[in-house]
Amino acid sequence: MRIAIAGKGGVGKTTIAGTLARLLGRREGSALAVDGDSNPNLAVALGLPQSGAMSLPTVPRDVMEKRLVDGEEKLVLALSPEEIAQRWGIPAPDGVRLLILGRVNHAGTG
Amino acid sequence: MCRNHATVRSLLAELVGEATGPTVADMEAGLENFSRGTPRNVDSLLVVVEPYFRSLETGARAVELGRELGIPRVGAVANKSRSAEDERAVREFCEGRGIPIAGWVPFDEAVLQAERSGMALLDHRPESPAAQAIASVADSIAG
Repeated sequence: MRIAIAGKGGVGKTTIAGTLARLLGRREGSALAVDGDSNPNLAVALGLPQSGAMSLPTVPRDVMEKRLVDGEEKLVLALSPEEIAQRWGIPAPDGVRLLILGRVNHAGTG
Repeated sequence: MCRNHATVRSLLAELVGEATGPTVADMEAGLENFSRGTPRNVDSLLVVVEPYFRSLETGARAVELGRELGIPRVGAVANKSRSAEDERAVREFCEGRGIPIAGWVPFDEAVLQAERSGMALLDHRPESPAAQAIASVADSIAG
């Protein structure tokens, strides 16, 4: 059961994504929540404290590696999603693990 | 910028594609990530729409793009409806475009209060109409 939540900005995607992830976690015992937004705020919608939400770890880009697939260079995972969730997953209520994929650094230090 | 959007999009696609348990991905707002096929590996695409034209138009385009990517289940979640008129507008729009509605989540002060207090909706007001409505969406997806 893999669900993507899309929509125009401000429509309430993140509240729905966070709430769904927790409800699926309750139901199935565990769930993975993936924050693909460049201004990530799924953490708070999942119930993690707002203080410190901006300093939560993000998944480093070297979990991807270039590999030749059918003669074409592609970015693929170098680790399994389970390993990635174990190392960079942030525990949230109801058995959810949160992976934050990226954050635009407005301070320009990146 | 710490990392480019392209890497984040590939990472999202690959992670979700290889995940074995229940997975919910909150995508970047808008449509740009569809052109890179970011949500190509999911079983369900839920497009959240509000009852106003620009949100519905963007939603309709997201549904089309999701279908082009071959996502098995694609539907809209109608969020923040305040009245029967809102609901009728969303229903008519979606019927006209052949978009199935996967759920209705009413406008709910509890969502705003939860956001203001930095809490999850389920921790702030689990019995609120919005929380109950999202629970029915979860039931219909999981059931």
